[in-house]
Amino acid sequence: MAIRRVLIANRGEIAVRIARACREASIESVAVYSDADKDALHVRVADRAVRIGPAAPAESYLSVPALIAAAAASEADAIHPGYGFLSERAALPLACDEAGLIFIGPPARVMERMGSKIGARALMQGAGVPIVPGDTPRDQSDDGVLAAARGLDYPVLVKASAGGGGKGMRIVRRDNDAVESIAAARREASSAFGDGTLYVERLIERPRHVEIQIFADMHGNVVHLFERECSVQRRHQKIVEESPSPAVTATVRQRMGQAAVAAARAAGYRNAGTIEFLVEGEGDSARFYFLEMNTRLQVEHAVTEAVVGVDLVRAQFVVADGGRLPWTQEALSQRGHALECRIYAEDPAREFLPQAGPLRLYREPVGPGIRIDSGVTEGDRVGVDYDPLLAKLVVHAETREAARTRAVHALKRYPILGTRTNIPFLIRLLELPAFRDGSLHTGMIDDHLPELTAPDGVPPEALAAAAVATTAPAQRSGVNGDARVDHDPWSTMLRWGR
Amino acid sequence: MGPVTTAMPSRSVLLTRAGDQDDEQFLVDVLEESPLHRVRADGQVFEIASDGHGSLRVTGERSTTAWAVAADDVKWVFVDGRVFELVEVRPGDRARTTGHGHHGSLTAPMPATVRRVAVKVGDTVKRGDTLVILEAMKMELPVRASAAGTIRAVHCHEGDLVQPGLVLIEIVEA
Repeated sequence: MAIRRVLIANRGEIAVRIARACREASIESVAVYSDADKDALHVRVADRAVRIGPAAPAESYLSVPALIAAAAASEADAIHPGYGFLSERAALPLACDEAGLIFIGPPARVMERMGSKIGARALMQGAGVPIVPGDTPRDQSDDGVLAAARGLDYPVLVKASAGGGGKGMRIVRRDNDAVESIAAARREASSAFGDGTLYVERLIERPRHVEIQIFADMHGNVVHLFERECSVQRRHQKIVEESPSPAVTATVRQRMGQAAVAAARAAGYRNAGTIEFLVEGEGDSARFYFLEMNTRLQVEHAVTEAVVGVDLVRAQFVVADGGRLPWTQEALSQRGHALECRIYAEDPAREFLPQAGPLRLYREPVGPGIRIDSGVTEGDRVGVDYDPLLAKLVVHAETREAARTRAVHALKRYPILGTRTNIPFLIRLLELPAFRDGSLHTGMIDDHLPELTAPDGVPPEALAAAAVATTAPAQRSGVNGDARVDHDPWSTMLRWGR
Repeated sequence: MGPVTTAMPSRSVLLTRAGDQDDEQFLVDVLEESPLHRVRADGQVFEIASDGHGSLRVTGERSTTAWAVAADDVKWVFVDGRVFELVEVRPGDRARTTGHGHHGSLTAPMPATVRRVAVKVGDTVKRGDTLVILEAMKMELPVRASAAGTIRAVHCHEGDLVQPGLVLIEIVEA
């Protein structure tokens, strides 16, 4: 392989995950960090680390010149963008081309085309993939956006033309709340993506959100790696994903897979990508609409890795290096069921408000079929500068019910103390009859919010434990101190000895 | 909640939820501290073995694992996927107020930037009206009126960096 040293242009759990793939492929990893992250886990696990700027993302993780300079300084030959940050900005692959670096992702022109909602929709229509009615109004004033919204019939979704991840997105149901929502969406879009251009589309109510993982090499091979069901969302952001989707039949799966491959071919796509669909209706007659293409690795890629039995990041290295896809379509299949829960520092009882603070106790569950991709360790501090995703729990089991149960029990052995997280909320969510039945839709959390966030009664065991609680055991010493205690469960058991 | 065993506690701890509104208090008696803890809570006696690193084996009728740390004033406990934040009520502390600060004021919930201030002194507001929009972690967080009333004071401006607990707006309730 020509790639010998990869600069990881990201932070948190995804940077840690990419560093692991580098190690396994005998590639050196170079971490980058802002001043807020100098002791972060992703820096500690990489072979080298380069400071790229102050905490503000615009001056560090979003700075193309800083990243290219870091790649030059560390003599990296490739850049992996991860997800978020610059992962869908054509400026990064363009700068890589100029600097003679391999960009581990699609070519800039494909990213540009798929990143523009107008371009992507036109391309999909041309490839015969169904799309949801919508428009980027030429007149971007409040009145212009309002007129576009009225033209589609309420309810509509107003969102950042440049973005994703639910940021800068608002539902508008009537003229009354339209202007305030448009202004809020524009402000969020400007602040998150540096571009306040808004896109308006007809809202499909109670849809399911199902996406298809695709992968393409430079030799004309394109495959899909089946679907991920991502309907369970809060604030328009996914928090539980699974595969297979409980709602997709074999017939619909095949049609969606073929549509996704056709779309990828039409786009001239390369490397890993995801085509997101909205799905309406039931059974073999369910309809699906192209929503958007994510021209990068997804947060939830590990669900596909578990259920299909592949390493997507390793395959990204192979394909970026000019190699052939490691799999044919015929060789790929889904086996069992995989489910991911995103662990966020947030307070579900207070509108999922992001939380900052110390992780005074942080212990990950272990066991068969349990994978944790984490960006933190005990003693770390969750800051206010970046997304509050701490880790992902991914479980794999024979059936959906077995995977659900495995996830519940793993979460019950996943103590995080010192900063509020969504773990208790996730357990309640997985225990909802509607979740158990698989009757998922994107409004499911809102529908069940009171029962998902009601406070728990304090059991006597918790009171007893509180009465003997001692101060936090291990605190990171600040300067590159890896002061972790030994968490080996067997030594722990012995110390309990009666 | 009456005592079931007759052992004399070596110490008693009165706990309540951090920031609680309902002010429910729980009395816990620590009967022994070593080699194992014996603790009475809600009429049940538990034996607790600690690994010294926050992991506790709590044995009553059956055994369960709990994790607990004390940090600042809060005792954080994780049991069976549920998290509790408890604080100790000290004698003479009966009327302590925690959580949302004094009545009629709205505070910043976390470090954030003030994106927009939607009201000025003298404005009348309804419960649920957006008063201030904060931004943190790239998300807008509306601060809404907790009750109808008149704005008495505005303590923040657009662009301010605010810290948790800082009073942003004061309202005279109608």
